[in-house]
Amino acid sequence: MPKKITIQFTLNQKEISLEVAADRRAVDVLREDLDLTGTKIGCGEGDCGACTIIIDGKTVNSCLVLAPQLDGRDVVTIEGLGNYDRLDALQQAFLDEGAVQCGFCTPGMLLSAKVLLDENPTPSRDDIMQSISGNLCRCTGYVKIANAIERAAKMKAGQ
Amino acid sequence: MAELSVVGKSVIRKDALDKVLGRTRYSADLKMPGMLHAKVLRSTVPHARVIRVDTARAEALPGVHAVLTAKDVPGPNGHGIIFKDEPVLVSDKIRKIGDPLAVVAAETEAIAAEAIKRIEVEMEELPGVFDPVEAMQDDSPKIHGDSNILALRKILRGHPDEVFARAEIVVEGEYQTQMQEHSYIEPEAGIAYLDEDVVVIKASTQNTHFDCREIARNLALPQSRVRMVQAPTGGGFGGKLDVSVQIHLGLLALKTRRPVKLVYTREESFIASSKRHPCRIRYRTAADRNGKLLAVDVQVVGDTGAYSSYGPAPITRLAVHAAGPYEVPNARIYAYTVYTNNPTAGAMRGFGVPQISFAYEQQMDRIAEKAGISPLEVRLRNSLRRGSVTVTGQVLDIEGSLGDTLIPAYETLLSARKNEALPDHIKKGVGLACMYYGVGNTGQPNPAGAFLDLMEDGSAHLMVGAADIGQGSNTILAQIAAEELGLDFQDIKVISADTGVTPDGGATSASRQTYISGNATLEAARSVKTVLLKEAALWQDVPVERLLLKEKCLYVDQKPSGVTVQQLVARCRGKGVMTIGHGWYNPSTVPLDDETGQGIPYEVYSFGSQAVEIAVDTQTGEIEVLRVTAAHDVGQAVNPLHVEGQIEGGTLMGIGYGLYEEMKKNNGSIQTPSFATYLIPTALDVPPIDSIIVEEKVDTGPFGAKGLGETSLVPPASAIANALWHATGIRLHSLPLTPEKVLRALESQKEWPDGNIAAEEDTV
Repeated sequence: MPKKITIQFTLNQKEISLEVAADRRAVDVLREDLDLTGTKIGCGEGDCGACTIIIDGKTVNSCLVLAPQLDGRDVVTIEGLGNYDRLDALQQAFLDEGAVQCGFCTPGMLLSAKVLLDENPTPSRDDIMQSISGNLCRCTGYVKIANAIERAAKMKAGQ
Repeated sequence: MAELSVVGKSVIRKDALDKVLGRTRYSADLKMPGMLHAKVLRSTVPHARVIRVDTARAEALPGVHAVLTAKDVPGPNGHGIIFKDEPVLVSDKIRKIGDPLAVVAAETEAIAAEAIKRIEVEMEELPGVFDPVEAMQDDSPKIHGDSNILALRKILRGHPDEVFARAEIVVEGEYQTQMQEHSYIEPEAGIAYLDEDVVVIKASTQNTHFDCREIARNLALPQSRVRMVQAPTGGGFGGKLDVSVQIHLGLLALKTRRPVKLVYTREESFIASSKRHPCRIRYRTAADRNGKLLAVDVQVVGDTGAYSSYGPAPITRLAVHAAGPYEVPNARIYAYTVYTNNPTAGAMRGFGVPQISFAYEQQMDRIAEKAGISPLEVRLRNSLRRGSVTVTGQVLDIEGSLGDTLIPAYETLLSARKNEALPDHIKKGVGLACMYYGVGNTGQPNPAGAFLDLMEDGSAHLMVGAADIGQGSNTILAQIAAEELGLDFQDIKVISADTGVTPDGGATSASRQTYISGNATLEAARSVKTVLLKEAALWQDVPVERLLLKEKCLYVDQKPSGVTVQQLVARCRGKGVMTIGHGWYNPSTVPLDDETGQGIPYEVYSFGSQAVEIAVDTQTGEIEVLRVTAAHDVGQAVNPLHVEGQIEGGTLMGIGYGLYEEMKKNNGSIQTPSFATYLIPTALDVPPIDSIIVEEKVDTGPFGAKGLGETSLVPPASAIANALWHATGIRLHSLPLTPEKVLRALESQKEWPDGNIAAEEDTV
């Protein structure tokens, strides 16, 4: 059996510490040990982006990250983006623009969009498409998702 | 018609809030105490006789709770949407790679995976057949029984041979289309557990009531002891109409008496699920000198793979739509559904029509060229319209014609075109494609039901069998119920696709839920409204005809009465009158005649047209789609934002089909089992898509609405092929339109400078 190690990291602005087997994927620890099932598995191979999380301000496919690699990092999952009482502007914009259909890609899309807007508050349409190009969506044709990100950028600028 | 309050408004869909918060629990997210994990042992060879499956070493592994093989299936061990020819677990014969041989339930997924490796299968490999035309030969290896021809759909109308013999224009072509994968982002998954003596299965699916029947039969249980619940479903597009995890889970839960979960890997999803039929098409069209169509002669062979799935149905729909949305008085259409040892082909968005559209739309442009008229004109001249007779002999009672979608699509595209200087190696072109699509199943009963319970506070439960797979039916049906009852959208809570609670809604397929479940919902709402208005008439001493429900109030003579719907419900209930109702709807059709294909396959048709502009790089062969204008007649847009979402999503899926999506296979083995090798469009592949919503209301639809889920996928590949010809003079006859094929055709054209002809020899 692989060795178990203790990791400590910031998860959605809270410090946490847990023991994990060294060979486990970050996505499995999030989904199974921490019940954060908003992070989805669409392929397990880094192709689809459904498991996108943010580590130290950058998006990563959490199916390609081992849990020990989270140690010491600042991690944001979809559960950290907003809640029922206070939606992030991106979440509100996804609702208003009709950017959600089956919703399976939505958490990953939102986190990729969040990193984009954190880095570039006034993105062009091309910047937006580039930022979500690692997140596959089969329902929407991406049009309303891009519209929502544009809208969120304006909402954030107006705040 | 009175002004609409809820229908026609882009209300925010009901499920979106939980989805943006990451709180929606899809099948793979479900957990239960004591839950076991399942894995499936699948065949790695395409055709073999199974001699022995030895599970002893797997059963001996600590943590394994059940290892099941064919002998453990108490029912007939067969499932399938039309024919029950697919084993739950293979007993004697493997017919494709991916056939399930055994299922395991264990404490962890890793133990289950290890157990699978320990199962020994002794088999004798058989020669396979992977080409559907070869499979039709007498001496080919047989997949089931003594013929590989599963079905032949014939449509015969008029006297095509006589017409072809004297026609002034005859255009002939062979076309080939590829296998497409649905590529929903959520792989198949589900969970099963026992609730007293009921087996409950929650899974990602498009049709719970079908699943329930298949599970019950194979578990040898009454349907009342199987409860199939749709978990939130991450896309389907036809690929989740077949049974996937459901029966395996039921067997394992019954055997272990514990909750069991099964989640497919992406590769497993690609290997095990059905696909879009690859088709070979021979197409002849006859026209007069003015480009008026006289006859078509079409032969199609659809490779349905190892099992029938929905197989014959898409090929039948293909045949019915083989002449396109055009008047063609004489037709001979033969469409074969053929078994091979390839992956199974079943339902996929468009259901055969994208394949045949690729042929008939290129034929239209070629007719136009010979008649000396424009691609626009040839389509307008031949459009189906009121009184037109289709190739199945159906007289259409429709408003308008193709021009209602084609002209806006074309003009919008032209006005957006940029006149810019281009390098010599970039060629731009414009292409058109039109479509029509019958709503609902082809010439078959396909009803849907709805229950409605209007409660004391004026809110209601709407219970429908229709599965919302992301397209938004729960929202649409709530809008329809709210509109009819004069309530707000928020007043209607929809409970859907749960055989323990909801009536059968049929499949979420055939673009049927807005129309058929919509009509059932409307009927259920009307039955409750009748109760309310009858009571209101007594109470207010006003005839029912002068009453209506609007803005949560009773209106008398178009004015608010001061009585609320809530008060009306309370009054009814206070007198012991229940405010519950039900409704169902079955579109009126006439089955197609076996020999002639004549009949009335659909009650209504949706029409659409798309125009594309492309740029072709003649050095690399690459096609870039610069813009799509997509005009679709939806009757009444119940939720315009949803309609646009369907048009945009379907159009991009159609562009992928046109340009690069291809499930490649070699002797039945999928060569592209991942998103790294099977490419679907990304955000970087999206051209501007102008959605143009056309509303020709139909009397039989809920508030005039008809179906739209599949229509936008049909035209893009055909329109791009026509634009390629416009840009370069080459005409490709096989999908997808890859850079390699474009370059090859351009090179052959250089050798034979008379243009079109040489390039037509691209593949077939």
